[in-house]
Amino acid sequence: MLSRVAENLYWLGRYLERTENIARMAHVEHEVSLEGGQEVWHSLVSTTASNELYWEALLESPGLTHSEFLLFSALNPGSLRSTFVRARELARGLREHISREVWEEINALYLFLSRRKQFGAGDVHELCTETQRRTQTILGLYDNTVLRDEGREWFRCGMYLERADMTSRIVDAKYHILLPGDDSVGGAFDRFQWVAVLRSASAREAYRRLGYSEVDGMLVAQLLIFSVEFPRSLAFSVQALARHYQQATAEAPKRRRAGAERRIALLNLDLGASDVEQVVDEGLHEFIDEFQGRLIEVDRAITEDIFRAEPGRVAQVRLVED
Amino acid sequence: MLEGELLDGYAANAPDDEMVDAQGALRPDYRELAETLGGWSLEEYEQRKTRADLALLSAGITFNVYSDEEGTERIFPFSLIPRIVGAEEWKGVDAGLKQRLRALNLFLSDLYGERRILKEKVVPEEIVLSSPGYRPEMEGFEPPLGVYAHVAGCDLVRDESGEFVVLEDNLRTPSGVSYVLENRTVMLRVVPDLFPRWGVQAVTDYPNQLLATLLSVGPEGSDGPRAVLLTPGIYNSAYFEHSFLSQQMGIPLVEGTDLTVGDDDCVYLRSTTGLEQVDVVYRRIDDDFLDPLVYRADSLLGVPGLMRAYLAGNVTLANAPGAGVADDKVVYRWVPEIIRFYLNEDPILQNVETFSALIPSERDYIKAHARELVLKPANESGGYGVLIGEQATEEELGATLAQMEAEPRNWIAQPLLHFSTIPTFDEDRLKPRRADLRPFVLSGEETWVIPGGLTRVALREGSYVVNSSQGGGSKDTWVLNEEPD
Repeated sequence: MLSRVAENLYWLGRYLERTENIARMAHVEHEVSLEGGQEVWHSLVSTTASNELYWEALLESPGLTHSEFLLFSALNPGSLRSTFVRARELARGLREHISREVWEEINALYLFLSRRKQFGAGDVHELCTETQRRTQTILGLYDNTVLRDEGREWFRCGMYLERADMTSRIVDAKYHILLPGDDSVGGAFDRFQWVAVLRSASAREAYRRLGYSEVDGMLVAQLLIFSVEFPRSLAFSVQALARHYQQATAEAPKRRRAGAERRIALLNLDLGASDVEQVVDEGLHEFIDEFQGRLIEVDRAITEDIFRAEPGRVAQVRLVED
Repeated sequence: MLEGELLDGYAANAPDDEMVDAQGALRPDYRELAETLGGWSLEEYEQRKTRADLALLSAGITFNVYSDEEGTERIFPFSLIPRIVGAEEWKGVDAGLKQRLRALNLFLSDLYGERRILKEKVVPEEIVLSSPGYRPEMEGFEPPLGVYAHVAGCDLVRDESGEFVVLEDNLRTPSGVSYVLENRTVMLRVVPDLFPRWGVQAVTDYPNQLLATLLSVGPEGSDGPRAVLLTPGIYNSAYFEHSFLSQQMGIPLVEGTDLTVGDDDCVYLRSTTGLEQVDVVYRRIDDDFLDPLVYRADSLLGVPGLMRAYLAGNVTLANAPGAGVADDKVVYRWVPEIIRFYLNEDPILQNVETFSALIPSERDYIKAHARELVLKPANESGGYGVLIGEQATEEELGATLAQMEAEPRNWIAQPLLHFSTIPTFDEDRLKPRRADLRPFVLSGEETWVIPGGLTRVALREGSYVVNSSQGGGSKDTWVLNEEPD
């Protein structure tokens, strides 16, 4: 398969997954901030790593709210809308590789987002739920209408790598409330926050179904990081990434595929050999930090060894590994 | 005969029309269509039209408009009423186009080779060698089978006598064929009842013919050649067509960065499993952007080293670089001479009478008769820079004539052609609107002409401008299988 096409399908998967995650997190934060009476949007801006950008954008557009910046603003290349516009641009160049149904649904969400010129607090609910519903539709259509070839495996690789990254960001943003604290353990406000964390990761029903009766920060962290049954957890996403990567590279020469393969396998092993107590002992924030760093290495290996491999560069990688 | 909500009053003001003759009588080829349309109400028409537009929009059959910042994609305006060409007449057009392309390919081969036609002074040397389409690096190189213009689009119009004549040739990267195919698909779905009893000639073979053409011109010794379509990318106005054709032919759609030229001067495609050799590149980017090492160094669209690989005979480019010299609007003036020179035949399809400002006697004629002529800059496309003498202000005319004096090589003039009109829906009924026709001609081992082609129609009354970039629309073109009895 053409390297550019593979790379663009991988990024289409990443951007669609990211769009859906931003919509879901923003929706929860929006309701939490209304009920909790606190401005919590800023923590979401931190989650998407865009604090400095926000201050810059504020200079350009005074009065820009956190929610507008995060969801709608073109000044934020990481906003929900900017992210989805990039996904749609990629899809336009991939039309012979995706189905007509997928393309038309992507186009429909694009029209929904671009017809809207103004954005206010009253729009958050509709914008988020509609985006979530439609991105889920796109992902479902993708599964059911697109040929199951190498391209589909790259799409899945991008989707699961992004999912692992986004869920880890949700955990990281709230790790201080997930951890057993000194004074406010089990307080009503904490429970309220934990439920919000679960909802941010679409995990509330899963949490209940797994039979956890009370809402407990450690259990929430356990579910989001280590559960291999919950499809948004870190462990599940990395396992899925490993599987799809193996299928995507089934035909690739070993020297090309080995770099990322090894990194994904190690990440998988390390997750399987650890648990929430150990992670909390050694520092949850440090753990997430390292996890995200290792995802970046996987992404780099895939990009350099497969998508953009020059004959010379791959030969060097091989020397190092032999 | 011409009755019904859509047809009432049509014949009253249609002196150059393809459906009715000068007396207002219905022509035989249109009889069946007019009978069916006569029974249609305005409402019926509008329902069909809505269905057709929806089909085009949801399929994303769009083109990009460079100047339009908001949505960069628009649907190509589609006109539902077909254009009909008789079976017998088409045989002549088909033969004329094959003859023309055979001669033009021989001309190109001679020009970059022996230059017999220049030595014998049939075509003035200064015109050919000063053409911006002329590529000196092609001198002494002969592409496989001597074919330069593998895909050509010739713009035809019907003149006052009713004959099809050639208005211009497009031998570089002509576009529009995807609309021909998609328009037919939509027509079959939306107006099946308009199709005549004996049917119309199918156009769906085009992608197969194109692929066969491309594979027939692979480099010598390439066994089972591999072809790709090279596009400038999604921001190009014809991107939809590139994507569509690559899909129909089942060949990879590539951008410049997807290809690389190895130390062995061969062209390779970068795939996830390694490099794969490419034998034929159907390129839809201009000569200027093909290879930054040879042409524009700032181009990010091309492939560094592509010309080296091409001139080494390791890859075929279709169309060949330098083919544009033969579609130069000034060189056009000599195409009838070119046909006679190489084929020793009279041209089957005529040129429009053309005056070149480079020839003193013709320049004087242009100055004296400017009001009756259309003045065209030689190297613009899409209808830009054209001045219609009859409609120009004194200032416009003066400015254009001054430009012509300064750069005589660059200007030609032709009489204002009252080319034919065809029935086209406007507002509340069918009205006569002017149209041209672009058939596509494929040259490889065989020469093949698509039956019909892209009919482009001016949507406004009295307008002669059919270009899609300037508000024209397109129609399905029906070449009849048989003459009606």
